[in-house]
Amino acid sequence: MGDFTYLLISGLSLGSLYALMALGLVIVYGILRLVNFAYGEYIMVAGYTLFLLSPSPLPWLVMAVVAAVMAAVMSYLTERIAFRPVREKSLTAMLITSFAVSTLLQNAALLFVSPRARVVPTPGIFSETVIIAGNVTPVREILAIVVSVALLIGFSILLRKTILGIALRAAADKFTMTRMLGVPANLVISAAFVISGLLAGIVAIFWLGRTGSVTPGIGLTPLLVAFVSTVIGGMRSLSGAVVGGYVLAFVTIIFNNLLPGDLYEFREAFIFTIVILILLFRPEGLVRGRG
Amino acid sequence: MREILGRAPYLNTVLTLLVPLVLIAAATDAFGGTVQQRIVTTMFINMILVLGLQVYMGNSGIVSFAHIGFMGIGAYASAVLSMPPDLKAMTLRDLYDVLQPIDLPFWLAVTVGAGVAGVVAAIISYPLMRLSDAAAIITSFALLVVINDVLVHWSEVTNGPRTLFGVERFTYLWTSAGVAFAGLLFAAWFRESRVGLQLRASRDDRVAAQSCGVNMVFVRWVAFVLMCIYAAIAGALWAHFITSFQPGHFYLEEVFLILAMLVIGGPVSVSGAVIGTILVTLAFEGFRALEGYLNTNQVFGTQVFGLTEFLLALAMIGILIFRPAGVMRGRELRIGRRHRGGRGMPATKERAAD
Amino acid sequence: MLRLDDLHAQYGAIVALRGVSLEVNEGELVALVGVNGAGKTTLLSTVAGVMRPRRGDIVFEGEPIAGLTPETVVRKGIALVPEDREIFSDLTVEENLRLGAYIRRGRGEYGADIDRMCELFPILRERFRQDAGTLSGGEQQQLAIARALMSHPRLLMLDEPSLGLAPKIVDQVFALIEQLHRDGMTILLVEQNVTRSLAIADRAYLLNMGTVQASGTPADLRQDVDMESIYLGGGD
Repeated sequence: MGDFTYLLISGLSLGSLYALMALGLVIVYGILRLVNFAYGEYIMVAGYTLFLLSPSPLPWLVMAVVAAVMAAVMSYLTERIAFRPVREKSLTAMLITSFAVSTLLQNAALLFVSPRARVVPTPGIFSETVIIAGNVTPVREILAIVVSVALLIGFSILLRKTILGIALRAAADKFTMTRMLGVPANLVISAAFVISGLLAGIVAIFWLGRTGSVTPGIGLTPLLVAFVSTVIGGMRSLSGAVVGGYVLAFVTIIFNNLLPGDLYEFREAFIFTIVILILLFRPEGLVRGRG
Repeated sequence: MREILGRAPYLNTVLTLLVPLVLIAAATDAFGGTVQQRIVTTMFINMILVLGLQVYMGNSGIVSFAHIGFMGIGAYASAVLSMPPDLKAMTLRDLYDVLQPIDLPFWLAVTVGAGVAGVVAAIISYPLMRLSDAAAIITSFALLVVINDVLVHWSEVTNGPRTLFGVERFTYLWTSAGVAFAGLLFAAWFRESRVGLQLRASRDDRVAAQSCGVNMVFVRWVAFVLMCIYAAIAGALWAHFITSFQPGHFYLEEVFLILAMLVIGGPVSVSGAVIGTILVTLAFEGFRALEGYLNTNQVFGTQVFGLTEFLLALAMIGILIFRPAGVMRGRELRIGRRHRGGRGMPATKERAAD
Repeated sequence: MLRLDDLHAQYGAIVALRGVSLEVNEGELVALVGVNGAGKTTLLSTVAGVMRPRRGDIVFEGEPIAGLTPETVVRKGIALVPEDREIFSDLTVEENLRLGAYIRRGRGEYGADIDRMCELFPILRERFRQDAGTLSGGEQQQLAIARALMSHPRLLMLDEPSLGLAPKIVDQVFALIEQLHRDGMTILLVEQNVTRSLAIADRAYLLNMGTVQASGTPADLRQDVDMESIYLGGGD
């Protein structure tokens, strides 16, 4: 029982972060059909913002907010400067651009900061633990669950109740028709990128909190996670992406605990083979989500 | 001569491109020092990779990441097959016993390595070829991740994530140049071949091509397997040039470099692949020299990292925005009559894969 | 009100409009007929800003609007109900209508507009909170028209509004178009059902191979043109 509770909490905690990562990727994909390879770099940007702010006397919470906002700003800027000019040209051009933007940002971190890991400030509460059902549980994991669930609820209210949210959902379904009703294309796309970056920034705070440091290559794992989760969720559905994130987290945790050592080494190969199989045989995703 | 060229315009393109390429190779051979030899040899190896990517991506309009994985397969297969048994005992401790005594000559090892990669690609990729757009991109990316993970953890063949030492050097300037020339000839021929034309038709208008009886899955598959064979040959040559390497080399950084070369040159034409390789090599070495200068003279007081890739990414974004069909704009270089595009057709602009 | 002057447009490599000139006056119901592929849908898409014209002018209420984006054109007062209705199926009926009123945010007339639409289309009130994807074809067509009307257009363009609908529903749709026309709405109607659209139109244009082949009152058109060619070519 204790083991089960432990797995449940770590699964939910990891799943909450995965869900947010997936959501951030799919909200842009839904509208532009762009698989944004630079998505992981928004997490990196938040990390370096935290690092640069660490000598300042600001309270941690303020630093965290600034970091998340910086990720959103970077996401907005990449759209404005790099993606918008190639948007009309082709999907392929946009995809290659996102790959180039990813390389650009990573190397900017190498160039202007350092190739070595940098320590990011974490609040005291991140290293505290509580006992739940006889297990020592990091408070950070509980916080990740609470914050993510609150965000998911807030996000869903935004999508259902505000005109911008409705326009975002409509644009993901029929972009041109949405424009014909007077919703500006640039507004919807910018909004999607800002939300995407903000989600990445918030994920970054908890994701970096695990190791307490940031490197130029930190974005790759979250990017892969977001890819897999969105594929599980069917690529086009926001709720599917969220469910996909939780599914991937639990699968990962089960692999970690159950797979024998020899096979465990090949877990990435396993997971990505499954991704290929899903795209081939169940492109609508493993979980049925809507909206 | 003129008559042959008139009937096969791709030969004109090949000859036009070969002149400067042979000159580069000969000049490097005659006057270049070790550094120049290294740069030009690497350039020709990269050119093989870029030409392979052009065969698939240029003609089908679909981006691929997977070929760099097959470069790894070619590198490891040829390295393991050609390493003397006593060396293997030292560097590849976990190697399968069956592979232990095999000691193939260099060219045979390259051929077998390319064959292994080709067979693997042929089997894996066929079902993937019906996917387009984002699904095609993500599967090729996933394939790269899978191959990389296998290379990293299959210690019984690859020595795991550690560096594989002791590969013998066989690749020299003219080796890589010669193979690149052959690859150029084949890529130019393929572009004008029946399958190549069908593939380009399916890139420009998938529905129309299929209604004309083009088997899109089949023609894509042929090009994909060819690309993987190109990549495997390049990997094998590179392995026998660099002599020690690790799986991490066959991953996203290499993908980016090769993609940058093709995109900057212009993916639709073979000339674009060649010109892009040359331009990016020049830029890359220029930036690297600058980075080296800044570091040795301590211009900024600290070590500078990533400047080369940073500037290259910037150049690539600039090309995508301001000259999306690349430097060559989809044209082939030709001497004499100003042909544009293939077979007197107007220049095929790069079009969306959607 | 709307004037097209020597309009050229192409769709990919296919030339769809080769110098079309036509006019729609205020309060008129103008029908646009012709075989499939004559360029009718292209014409509407080009006016709506979805496609860019290659050459020629589009003037609406004295203002050139050729080449504007779709989101700007609708602000000028032109609404298009596209051929396949383009209902947002994952959104509720209400959300569809709310987006239709996007350009009228902040005017405080939303409630009144919704009431008006529900009066015009009683079925929408019943289905108000349902996902639009669950509506029948006829209901979706009503929703599409209602959504377009929410923007208070001065020119309403309808592309094949009766396509794929049961005969009884087709009657309803035509009755509705007539009613909108009587209430003073200017309408540009593209229809495969030539007889019925000519029956309610003030004037009509016959489009063929991307050019205007004939124009005039429905009576003129019936007299001048071998109508059979349109019916036969029309397929359905």
